[in-house]
Amino acid sequence: MPDLTRLPPVVARRRAGVRSHADLLSTPIIVLLGGAAVALWVSTRKLDDIETRALQPSAILSDLGQHLILTAYSTFFVIVIAVPLGILLSRQGARRIRNVVLAVSGFAQALPPYGVLVLIAFAPAPFGFNPFSVIAGLVAAALLPVLRNTVVGLRQVDPALIEAARGMGMSARATLFRVELPLAVPVMMAGIRVALVLNVGTAVLATFVGGGGLGSLIVRAQTLNRPIVLVTAGAIVAALALMVDWLAGVAERLVRARTS
Amino acid sequence: MSRATTNPGGSADRPPDQQPMIVLEGVSKTYPGHLTPAVAEVDLAVARGSIVMLVGPSGCGKTTTLKMMNRLIEPTTGRILLDGEDVTKVNADQLRRRIGYVIQQVGLFPHFTVGQNIGVVPRMLGWERRRIRQRIDELLELVGLPPGEFRDRYPRQLSGGQQQRVGVARALAADPPVMLMDEPFGAIDPITRERLHDQFLEIQRTVRKTICFVTHDLQEAIKLGDHIAIFAAGGRIAQYDTPEMILSRPANDFVREFVGSGAAVRRLHLIALSTLALDKIATGSSATAGAHPVIEVDGSGRPVAWIRVPGVDGSPALATVPLSGSVYDAVDAMLDAHSSAVAVVDGDGRAVGALRWEALVGELQMRGRHR
Repeated sequence: MPDLTRLPPVVARRRAGVRSHADLLSTPIIVLLGGAAVALWVSTRKLDDIETRALQPSAILSDLGQHLILTAYSTFFVIVIAVPLGILLSRQGARRIRNVVLAVSGFAQALPPYGVLVLIAFAPAPFGFNPFSVIAGLVAAALLPVLRNTVVGLRQVDPALIEAARGMGMSARATLFRVELPLAVPVMMAGIRVALVLNVGTAVLATFVGGGGLGSLIVRAQTLNRPIVLVTAGAIVAALALMVDWLAGVAERLVRARTS
Repeated sequence: MSRATTNPGGSADRPPDQQPMIVLEGVSKTYPGHLTPAVAEVDLAVARGSIVMLVGPSGCGKTTTLKMMNRLIEPTTGRILLDGEDVTKVNADQLRRRIGYVIQQVGLFPHFTVGQNIGVVPRMLGWERRRIRQRIDELLELVGLPPGEFRDRYPRQLSGGQQQRVGVARALAADPPVMLMDEPFGAIDPITRERLHDQFLEIQRTVRKTICFVTHDLQEAIKLGDHIAIFAAGGRIAQYDTPEMILSRPANDFVREFVGSGAAVRRLHLIALSTLALDKIATGSSATAGAHPVIEVDGSGRPVAWIRVPGVDGSPALATVPLSGSVYDAVDAMLDAHSSAVAVVDGDGRAVGALRWEALVGELQMRGRHR
């Protein structure tokens, strides 16, 4: 399977205490150098008609656009579902079902995304071979990191802070929004970053159930048996995954710097 | 600070300003799944403007008792009256905004500045911005942290002692009549703790709050408390009395054992030097003065050395103790200097009198007979 993007998720970067952010430059430099190398290699090759058509910027941009939309929607729904659920599970009253729910969502993540996508595509309407199924599958596969990090992030808030807040007369709700969530945000952001990178990678499979995206470019290259297109498509997917991870990493660092 | 010598019991026919601020009536707490109560049938009355120390070994229910007063823990039975009002049924969040609360871990919000931390309760009460800002500066002054320097810092930039002072300022923010303090100085090194104690008593002289203070340190209880409630295992109060009475008349074996040896020495903490008749001091080199000790002073009246102390051969080493100290401090200074006399000095360091060992023992004998 041409899944070039299943990079190991990087969760814990160095703590925010490190003042130098020079390390943030490494990913863009690698992406730029790699992209330049591939572009140089492609430009020295003589392309036939089929290759030229397959590598048309407009075609690639359309696939890229679809890919980004799939990633954005699925990550959005992951956050909308997993964050509130995580907040509920972190409450004292939910301690019995907490581990059950985390285990079930861990199970969902362990399923091979390709199989899940195909199963969902064969499910009755509104599922089917359409982007809706793709997004449902992506959400199921990326739910756990956000859910678990929300629960963990909220549970690791010093109980003394919660006692102080309640002891001063803050309501449970105000304590959640003004003390617990702000202090949990860095950990939650790390989970969202993992989900985002998972989604960018898994969205390559969308093409098999009618969802489009950069997977289509790869499939086209394989059917046409054109290695140069395949390499280009792989390079684009890899560069996209690296850049999305990089952007999320920058956002994570900004949040950390603000709250700790 | 005045120490009432009678138990401030809850008789209802007192004038309103002498009615106790906090009253616990038959308050018990049994945690779910436990057979024995953590707090059993506690009756307690805390006089307005006084400090009551809840002391006892771990697991005796003193913290549970404290947390029932602001209903962080709901009592199983009994009534809790705050300023005459039964608070076991009112809205707990609103109740807590009227009660200052200080905990051992301080619990300053790390993502708030010092000023924002202090402003939490006033903001909840809907104070105006200007008033909150003024109050923050006022409180930082009160706890001895210059507002200009500390207001915009974050808690992690403060030492443990400074953090706890901000914790106290935060609890005082909305000027609540009652403060609950749960081992506030428990995690602070002994030297800083001593300083915080003195500062705490000084603040209390200005703010006159009704304070319940949990500690496991009897020394701290004796130093800070107007009254002490000693908790025994099983969540009962073994004795509720003034520090003086607890040290000199333990009500039962439990208290006697808890107070332990050295009660007589501890009692010295309770006698302020200013209440003793000190020997007059003659100054200068005129060694002719009769029965008075003679001391050599420098230009500004600060003692330099003893010239002669009656009843002592030669001139003993000079030890000084401030007039604001206790007899304990004076004895400590004497022992430290291997001297049987100590010069008592005022705030500016000028000698105001002398205390000799023989005179002190005589005075204590007299006090003992009068008791």
